[in-house]
Amino acid sequence: MTAAHVEPLARAAGNRLPRAPRKWQSKALLAVFVAYVVGVVWSWTYIDMTLLTLFGGFTELWNLVVDMVPPNVDNMRVVLKATVETIWMALIGTTACVVLSIPLAFMAARNTTPNPVVFAVARAIITLTRALPTLVLAAVLTLPLGIGPLPGLLALAIHSIGMVGKLFTEAVENTEAMSREAVTSTGAGKWQTVLATLVPQVTPSFIGTALYRLDINLRESAVLGFVGAGGVGFVVQQHLRSLDYQRAIAAVGVIFVVITLIEVVSTRLRASIIGDHLSSPTKKTPRTMARERRDHRLLVDAVTTRRLTPPWTYERLVRASAGVIYLVLIVVAFATIDIPYLSALGLGDEVIDSFGRLFPPDFTTAGPELWQGIRETVAIGFIATTLGLVISVPLGILSARNIVVNRFVYGTTRLFMLALRGLPELIVAVLFVAAMGLGPVPGTLALTVGTATFMAKLIGDALEEVSPEPREAVFATGASRAQEFVTSVIPQALPNLVSQTLYMLDVNLRSSTVLGIIGGGGIGFLLLSALRVLQEPTVGAIVIVIFVIVYSIELIGTFVRWLVE
Amino acid sequence: MTTVLSGGADPLISLTGVSKRFPNGTLALDNVSMTVPKGQLLSLIGLSGSGKSTLMRHLNGLHKPTAGTVQVFGVEVSSASNKQLRSVRRNVGFVFQQFGLVGRATCLENVLSGALGRLRGPRYGVWSYPRTLRREAFDHLERVGLAPQAYQRADTLSGGQMQRVAIARTLMQQPRLLLADEPVASLDPESSAQVLELLLKVATEDKMTVIVTLHQVELALGWAHRIVGLRDGRVVLDQDARGLSQTDVMEVYRRVDRESELLATPNMSAAAPTTERQRA
Repeated sequence: MTAAHVEPLARAAGNRLPRAPRKWQSKALLAVFVAYVVGVVWSWTYIDMTLLTLFGGFTELWNLVVDMVPPNVDNMRVVLKATVETIWMALIGTTACVVLSIPLAFMAARNTTPNPVVFAVARAIITLTRALPTLVLAAVLTLPLGIGPLPGLLALAIHSIGMVGKLFTEAVENTEAMSREAVTSTGAGKWQTVLATLVPQVTPSFIGTALYRLDINLRESAVLGFVGAGGVGFVVQQHLRSLDYQRAIAAVGVIFVVITLIEVVSTRLRASIIGDHLSSPTKKTPRTMARERRDHRLLVDAVTTRRLTPPWTYERLVRASAGVIYLVLIVVAFATIDIPYLSALGLGDEVIDSFGRLFPPDFTTAGPELWQGIRETVAIGFIATTLGLVISVPLGILSARNIVVNRFVYGTTRLFMLALRGLPELIVAVLFVAAMGLGPVPGTLALTVGTATFMAKLIGDALEEVSPEPREAVFATGASRAQEFVTSVIPQALPNLVSQTLYMLDVNLRSSTVLGIIGGGGIGFLLLSALRVLQEPTVGAIVIVIFVIVYSIELIGTFVRWLVE
Repeated sequence: MTTVLSGGADPLISLTGVSKRFPNGTLALDNVSMTVPKGQLLSLIGLSGSGKSTLMRHLNGLHKPTAGTVQVFGVEVSSASNKQLRSVRRNVGFVFQQFGLVGRATCLENVLSGALGRLRGPRYGVWSYPRTLRREAFDHLERVGLAPQAYQRADTLSGGQMQRVAIARTLMQQPRLLLADEPVASLDPESSAQVLELLLKVATEDKMTVIVTLHQVELALGWAHRIVGLRDGRVVLDQDARGLSQTDVMEVYRRVDRESELLATPNMSAAAPTTERQRA
């Protein structure tokens, strides 16, 4: 092997792998790894999931599938009505969250915050809103607000602030300062400067984030019905309860189609807004060329006649119509959603009252069960992550274009994963519970499926992004395909894989706190039973426990990510 | 020439004993005193980090001095209220090395933002500015030769064009004083010449007082009335541009290269106050 072969390999490895960590850090990483393994082994024995239960689960699932065909669509009117409500909830919830997040972001960004106190408070709000899962928040809000979409969309709005506020803040902090200094120098006031220089810079990323969150909220809002907080989830649950599987699958099908459609639309919109290339697409078709000619003519006309308003170029038309469509939709949403606005205004006191009744929290009534719930929640998270990872590796390799040369294998794998990702995890979970009965196993399996498809996509994408030079270098030495894969692809993709696994563990532990609400095991089950019998202090205790679990996961996650990087 | 150089009874700018120490401990300006009369074209020279940019930023209150006073248009900038500061800034055009344009906004919007100091309340988008101002912005774009690009996004332009848009934005302020901080340092030689020529043309046409920092000594000698050299935050050269040779000016740079403090300090720092006093 000559130096020419070694050099690119070493360089790529040097770029991708974390720099040699200091001694205590590598020790800490080792400890994290050991803790993870111990966690998995303990979880496995705790839930007592043998391979037999797994395969037994598959036969039960198959039975459910058989029971579900053919889907029964005679209830479509109700399903569609509930689905529309689901969409409106997501739309209003996301809008409310964006409206709240914009001022928060400017207060929480280092370069725009007015003073340190505001800064700290805004940061705290953004972190804390994230710590209660939407479903838990919605369930608790049904106490004062009753059954209906109002608690659901409020829960969506509040929980989303965590992510949207954080991303908005980062967008504000990532703006360049030069134009700000320049406009300040012209004698413009503080807010004039912010509006003239910062706002144009952050708008695309704000809209992109909002659209992304709309996707997520649509998925969340589809399951809010499980706790009576509005939307199509309620219909699915009713049908499943009455063992009417054919109607249930029809409703699930509608959810799938709607979610996929909206995701496709929002992804395209996001790409065009963030990519900045609405008017200059990569492919030049006669239509796009005609469009460009028209735009050019408009621009020339505008400047030669010195028009004092910008011309209506294609890009501007698209943007403006997107804005108008959004406004129409949000107005329709507010007008048609089933919220008693006037009486809702008077509910403020009741919300405060009701939250007051959660305190002081009562940890003793549910004492041992609470402890058991925590352990089960953690166990589900560990098993689902590990099992999902194990499944995702072959799945991901099959879905990487540059590794699998067979187009058919690649295509079917990607399609299969896309279909599975199209459904919210909790919908999958509720189907699994219907097939296998209550308990942690169906919940774990549902999270496993979610993890496996998500990780497989990441692995597939990461493998496709692996830089080709080291691979070529290894091939050039006469290595076989398998040798080449082990020596050059894996080392390049490993650090990313590790941090994504940690991220999945984080996500799964969060999800497993709510799985119990639909009978999938973990602490959520306790929450639902306490809510049913209105044991408010116990609800308070459970909410605090969930909060602490999620918050400590976030802290540990941040620490470990810091260690890895 | 001497009449232009002398501060007279009513200098536009006067600095007395200005020092600036940044929070990280760097002493960026060290006891700088100078006056600039109306209509003068002054060129500041010196190595990067010699305090040129810092000095400029004191003149419109972007920085506040640690010691000393800065007077512009008779206003004490270092202790001015926000309102006074804004009114000073309104009359001081500032052209930056990195242009400071909002890339995503159109050229017209960027030029219009130069009028914010005259307006009340925040503005967003072309439509939010009065039509008379929009017409004015068009005129300024025409003056810098970029009217055809009015509705193009600023980040689609070349560096030289961007700097011309930035100049148009400055013109929108109708400034009495123009500060240009390395206005051509990130441009290729051809655009540099164009931009500098434009800057000089509009400044003389509109009878502005100009302070410009330049790396290119021959350019500085070419069009300035007066050259001020800075090193380590101190004024080490302050002379009439006429009669100064390029080699004289290069001393400001060369002495630092050698890092020989002993040779450099006595001559230069002694020279500066004397020349100024002689002129006054």
